[in-house]
This record gives sequence, structure tokens and C-alpha cells, in this order.
Amino acid sequence: MRRARPLLGTFVEISAVGLAELALVRAVDAAFAAVARVHRLMSFRDPDSDLSRLNRQAASRPVVVDPWTASVLRRARSLFDATDGLFDCAVGHEAMQRGSLPSQGLGHVRGGTFAAVELMSDDRVRFSANIALDFGGIAKGFAVDRAIGVLRAHGVREALVNAGGDMRVIGETAQPVYIRCPGEDRQIVQAGLLRNAAIATSAAVLTVCKGAAEGTLRSIQPPDSAYSVIAPTCLLADALTKVLVQIGRADVGYFARFGVQAFITSAAANTEKVA
Amino acid sequence: MKASHWIWLPVAAISTPAYATTYFSVEQAQRTIFPGATFTGTGQSNTWRTSNGGYFVVERVVGKHEYITVAIGINPNGTVKQIEIMDYRESYGYEVRDASWRSQFVGKSASSPLQLGADIKNISGATLSSKHVTDGVKRVLQNLKVRG
Repeated sequence: MRRARPLLGTFVEISAVGLAELALVRAVDAAFAAVARVHRLMSFRDPDSDLSRLNRQAASRPVVVDPWTASVLRRARSLFDATDGLFDCAVGHEAMQRGSLPSQGLGHVRGGTFAAVELMSDDRVRFSANIALDFGGIAKGFAVDRAIGVLRAHGVREALVNAGGDMRVIGETAQPVYIRCPGEDRQIVQAGLLRNAAIATSAAVLTVCKGAAEGTLRSIQPPDSAYSVIAPTCLLADALTKVLVQIGRADVGYFARFGVQAFITSAAANTEKVA
Repeated sequence: MKASHWIWLPVAAISTPAYATTYFSVEQAQRTIFPGATFTGTGQSNTWRTSNGGYFVVERVVGKHEYITVAIGINPNGTVKQIEIMDYRESYGYEVRDASWRSQFVGKSASSPLQLGADIKNISGATLSSKHVTDGVKRVLQNLKVRG
């Protein structure tokens, strides 16, 4: 069974096999419901989402969030720490300045980092500075992982969840994966086969670089390259592509410590890979 | 990360369209969104009235490079019940130039998981314009409202 719905600002496709049809329908519906829940909680554009409430209010008072939002924030915190700030969800200000996110109701927001996020008990969250978070680098991966969790709970053993290119596969069947390079709409690159793992890909042009001066990075990173990470979970893959874009090298030592593989694909079909 | 989770293939750039997928026929989408309902034509070829007072609409959306057909279920109160993508395809020519690419399809039967044109998916990094779908749904809701 294979279904697709417009969610998370992209198309989310779920494929699952191995159960009777009615059971598969239930499993896939429930998996989509999990993705829809992530969409509701973590959309920057929806004024009623947890994320929007945080961005509007958390700088002035603690905001209670859904356990799923709290979970994403905890993972974002550990990745922020583990990457020396290269993975940073506090990019709302930069994204609004660039015009890629709406700034309505967020006039108070200034630049800052995730260090200003304080995770309190009982899923309460407070910001110590006027930052705005954007979950663009983590929510899709989290949603894919939740969907896989739901499918597993329904007894599905072979499945693929693909949220606009951030995808995770379970089961023994190796799934072919192709990379599309930014600016090269007509060409995709056959990259490899994925089994029981996740992959995510980012483009430099869509990533806010916080680790160094943006101008410097722009001149180093070819804008026509795709930056991919293969990881045990889609959240980790999604998040670490943002780090890969900034580092600009699929450096073995750096990514091995996260238990992931990183590689860069250019439109000319040259792939720098880490075995 | 064990190496067995990822198998490198010889790098080969290929021309799209690598992406063309059909998820639903009209009847399948109707049954999925409104199980057990019956459907009556409304005079508009893409719109059906359902036996419970809702609407079922098939909308074609043209994106930057893609055609998408969407099924939209609308509750009797005018809210969206469910949206399903019926098919998706990119609008480039259907040539596949690279021989090594073609060879991977040799020996695949119609029922095997990989079929040229039908099942080449899993494109990581694809930026697909879902905004056009959202706009299409808004358009459909507006039209139904106007017609009452």
C-alpha cells in the first residue's frame, strides 16, 4: 500500500506491506495522523502551533508545550551542544529577514542562539532572549520517525516513510535512493540502497548558517550540491545535514562520532563519500 | 551505523522524469475518503455529491515542473475531511539516457517493487511544490462556497 498526502509543507509518502489490506489501511492512516500532529504542533506558519506560541510568548513567560514538542526541543538541545552550536533551531530571525518565513506577530524577535532556550519541568519552556525557533531542520525527521513508530506498533515490518526527501526505511528490503541536486531539476543521481536506516538531504541555499559568517560559507559551498546524511533515525539525518552544509566536507571523524555517514553530491555527479 | 544499512551504487546521473506515481483511481479515492457512501454527479465532471451530504472533488494542480491530481473530501459542514494525492508526475520527457540505469530494471516483473516510470521514488532532496496543492484545495473550497 502506498499513499501520499500534503503535510509539513511538502508531500509525505508512506509505503507499507505485509499485512491484510484493512490492517494496512489502519496502520497507514494512523501513521499519517502522527505526521499531521507534528505538522499542527511545529508549523511556523500556523499561529496556533506550539512553535508559534513559543516564539510569541516564551521570552516573556514559560509556555507549556505538547510532550512531542518538548521531545524535539530536548533533542535539539543535545544536538546544539554536540555540534558546538552548528545545529541551531534559533534561526527564525534570519529566516524572517530573508523573507522565507512570515514575521507577523514576531516584531520583538532579534537574533540569538538556542542557548537561550530553557527546558523546564512539566514540559514548560522559556526563552532568556528574544529569539524565534524554526523546526525546519528537525521536524520532518521527527515526524518520519514517529510515523515509523506507529507503523511498527501496528505490526508493520516493511515500510518506507518519505517526507519530501527525508526518509526512513524499515525491513530487510534495500530501497534505492536518488539525489536531486539544487538547480538541476532535470537530473537526479542514483546514490545507493538504503536498508533499515534513514537518509536526509539539504541544499546550501536553504540552510541558515550560524557557525560562521554566512558570506564566507556561501563562497565555499557550491550552491548546486546536495548534502546527505544516512543515520539510524531520520531526526538525526535531518539535523546533521544542516551541520554538513556548514562544514562543507563529509569529514569522517566528525560524522563517525554521531554514528552516521555523510556525503555530498554535485550536479556533475561527483560524490564525495565517507565509507 | 553499520555499513550494511547503505550500499553504494556506481554514481550515474540520469535524466528525469524519474518520478511518476499513481496512488489512487477515482473510485479508490472515493471509497477511501468516504467509506460506504454513494456518489452522485453534480454536472461538473470533477465534483460529486456524497450520500451523507458532503462533496468529493478531483482537482488537477500544475506545479513548476509537475502535475498532481488531488482528491479532496469535504464534510457536509464545508470543512475538509481528507486530502489524498491521486497521482504525481514530473513534466519532463520520458527518456532515460544512461544504459547502466536502464539495466537495473532488467528482470523486474510488473509485480516487483521497482518499475520504470511507476516506482522510481525515494528522491532525497527533492523540493516538490506542495503549495500548489494547498492553493488548489483553497480554490475548490471557494468554488463550492460560491455555488452553495
